[in-house]
Amino acid sequence: MSSSSPAPTIQVCRDCGGGAPVDAHFCPQCTKILSIGRHGDYFSFLGLPRRLNLDPAELEKQFRTLSRQFHPDYFYNAPPGERRASLERSSYLNDAYRTLKQPVARVEYLLQLEGFAPGGPDQGSKVPPSLLEEVFALNEELDEIRDLRASGAEESVWKARLERARGPIEHKRDAHEAGLQELSSRWDALLDARAGIVERRPVLEALRERVLERNYINNLLAGIERELAQ
Amino acid sequence: MSRVVGIDLGTTNSLVAFVQEGAPVVIRDRSGDGLLPSIVSAAPDGTIYVGREAQRRLLTDAAHTVYSVKRFMGKGVDDVRDEASLLPFRVSGESGGVVKIGLGDREFTPPEISAFILRELKRRAEAFFAEQGEVDNEVDRAVITVPAYFNDAQRTATRDAGRIAGLDVMRIINEPTAASLAYGLDKRHAGLIAVYDFGGGTFDISILRVEDGVFQVLATGGDTHLGGDDIDLLLMHRVLAQVGWTQSAERIQEIRKAVIQAKWDLSDRETTELNGAPFTREEFDTLIRPIVDRTLEPCRQALADAKLDASQIDEVVLVGGSTRIPLVRRLVGELFGRTPHSELNPDEVVALGAAVQADILVSGSREMLLLDVTPLSLGIETLGGVVSKIILRNSTIPATGSEMFTTGADNQTAVDIHVLQGERELVADNRSLARFKLRGIPPMPAGLPRVQVQFQIDANGILSVTAHELRTDIEQTIEVKPSYGLTDEEVERMLLESFEHAEADFAARLLIEARNEAETVIQATEKSLRAPEFDEIARELPQGQTQRIESALVDLKAVMESADRELIQEKTHVLNDATRLLAELMMNRSVQAALSGKNVNEM
Repeated sequence: MSSSSPAPTIQVCRDCGGGAPVDAHFCPQCTKILSIGRHGDYFSFLGLPRRLNLDPAELEKQFRTLSRQFHPDYFYNAPPGERRASLERSSYLNDAYRTLKQPVARVEYLLQLEGFAPGGPDQGSKVPPSLLEEVFALNEELDEIRDLRASGAEESVWKARLERARGPIEHKRDAHEAGLQELSSRWDALLDARAGIVERRPVLEALRERVLERNYINNLLAGIERELAQ
Repeated sequence: MSRVVGIDLGTTNSLVAFVQEGAPVVIRDRSGDGLLPSIVSAAPDGTIYVGREAQRRLLTDAAHTVYSVKRFMGKGVDDVRDEASLLPFRVSGESGGVVKIGLGDREFTPPEISAFILRELKRRAEAFFAEQGEVDNEVDRAVITVPAYFNDAQRTATRDAGRIAGLDVMRIINEPTAASLAYGLDKRHAGLIAVYDFGGGTFDISILRVEDGVFQVLATGGDTHLGGDDIDLLLMHRVLAQVGWTQSAERIQEIRKAVIQAKWDLSDRETTELNGAPFTREEFDTLIRPIVDRTLEPCRQALADAKLDASQIDEVVLVGGSTRIPLVRRLVGELFGRTPHSELNPDEVVALGAAVQADILVSGSREMLLLDVTPLSLGIETLGGVVSKIILRNSTIPATGSEMFTTGADNQTAVDIHVLQGERELVADNRSLARFKLRGIPPMPAGLPRVQVQFQIDANGILSVTAHELRTDIEQTIEVKPSYGLTDEEVERMLLESFEHAEADFAARLLIEARNEAETVIQATEKSLRAPEFDEIARELPQGQTQRIESALVDLKAVMESADRELIQEKTHVLNDATRLLAELMMNRSVQAALSGKNVNEM
């Protein structure tokens, strides 16, 4: 079972009624800018493969090239329909660029595209099993630090302990970055090999797991930051 | 075809520029002055003065003269209460509503005051184009600049000001970005640029990457309430502490003028005089250091947001009058580790860039492209007074974001939405942009409707909102009530009022002109009557002519103070006619005298 619905491959030019490939930006018949309707996705929009290791220079170059084609500045004198299309297409381009530029946002976006988006009522709130040990230790440490502070200990003393408490969590995060990187490369290899869903599924599930853990770790670190700021 | 211009609507000065044969130039007035002081003053008869004349009136009628109005754009009266107490003009308004500024017996919103300035610039440009022999010299479209750190309300207020002035505001662009465009013209460079823009009332920092003619802003930061005005205030406090705090509004303006002069002096001298005592640059630097330091933190933040180190910046560009201060140059140079650029006049570079952008829009030239960002995150209020961010700051614009809403009660057909701008967690710490009611949701059990609200920030950095109920595919109607802005109806009304008052202003202008003309004729006549040769000439006049002249003179003097322009003109004509022969005779005599004198010399 694939949870992603088949993507449309054709769009219709509102200006001349002609058909155009879904990832075309301008109508092949009348050359007018196409309004954004049932478009493809950020990757196809930018003319990039769904790879997780994107060449940043290539992304920047595509972004600039397409900006030069759609930007509202160049449609100031155009009819309202084309102006609207230019605004929509530029907005979508900017959103796509912003998302694909950041490695983690890129993974999250890919998971959503492939129908493996993290979410659901219990996901994200419960402690990921791989983090149980660290979370347990951190909570104990935080309780002790709060007690210490309540008993009027020197600020420098409890702050130093908080700083130390951050260590294992940060270590865990670095390990996760490496894990994400390794999974990303596996995904790209599967893509290059045109592998089917049976082989893709475990990689996507593992990526989803990693993203959830990463979000959890970031929340833990943000919690420590909040304690430090007090 | 009508002309397009770029306008720098500044806190202290405003300018207008246009592109001539591919290069931007500032349009100057007859005396060669490009800067129009952003000052508006109302005379007792209702005449509005803008610019230098209004600046002079600060020293004679401070209570009816408004300056630094940019600081009030898009603000509520509660925001500006502290500051307003230091200003000579009346600032009022209802709590929670927009600021109102009293000028004579009328009250204006900040966009209306700004519109006076814009109209003056429009007039200046139209006079210039007429002189150039343009068939159609009308200026009806403009690109107007704003500080990069202006929020949605401040941008909208600026656009409203343009509309009230009868301008189609083609685009609102950010001042530092405009400056980079002006700099980019003569240098086809690629690289990372920091634009440090410290003006009269606002501070901006923008980090840009320039490549293939694309000027892409990576991050921006600033403070819309930090500028040369704050330095002037510090110096004024210093003087007032010496001379006593209770001073007339006009005396305070004299002190303000003196401290500004001292500030300027210290940009190229080590010492000057202030309030009768020597004042050194060292003292000045110590005094203003905290203000300059406040500009450095946003610089560091912008670098961090762009994920760059100061040492990676290739070039630093200085914009705004306050960057003439040596301490500012030194600290900015130290922060970025390089000497900042200042080849272009820091007062003019923003207007030049705005003109370039206006030209790009109408000419279809694709040589350059500006990609700017939104300076502040956009969010909506969620449960517990917490802000949920929808579009993050430093996102390239145009940008979109959407959020799904549902209902909390069965058959609920409307949802309240509160839109905010800012970086803080809590609603109370951010800027309220607008509240609106999402209506027309089909009656359904609670939680079932799925209303997708789409937020669009356009290339001006201005927000619009649309909504869509996904289950029924119904487009929602949205009434956006701006928290600190004007409704479309209000802008429309102000535009109409400005036409009516434009007629009144025009009438006042004509009256003044008629009086001036009458004054000239009266003076010329009196001069002739007193002339030593008058008796001799009078003998050549027809009988009774001298009496006719004298009675016409008395008649005209009697109506001089009346507001009846036509009466003044009529009496002026009578006196003019009565003195025509006398004037001819006087003229002949003086010509003869001159000629005979000449003959004598030549002999």
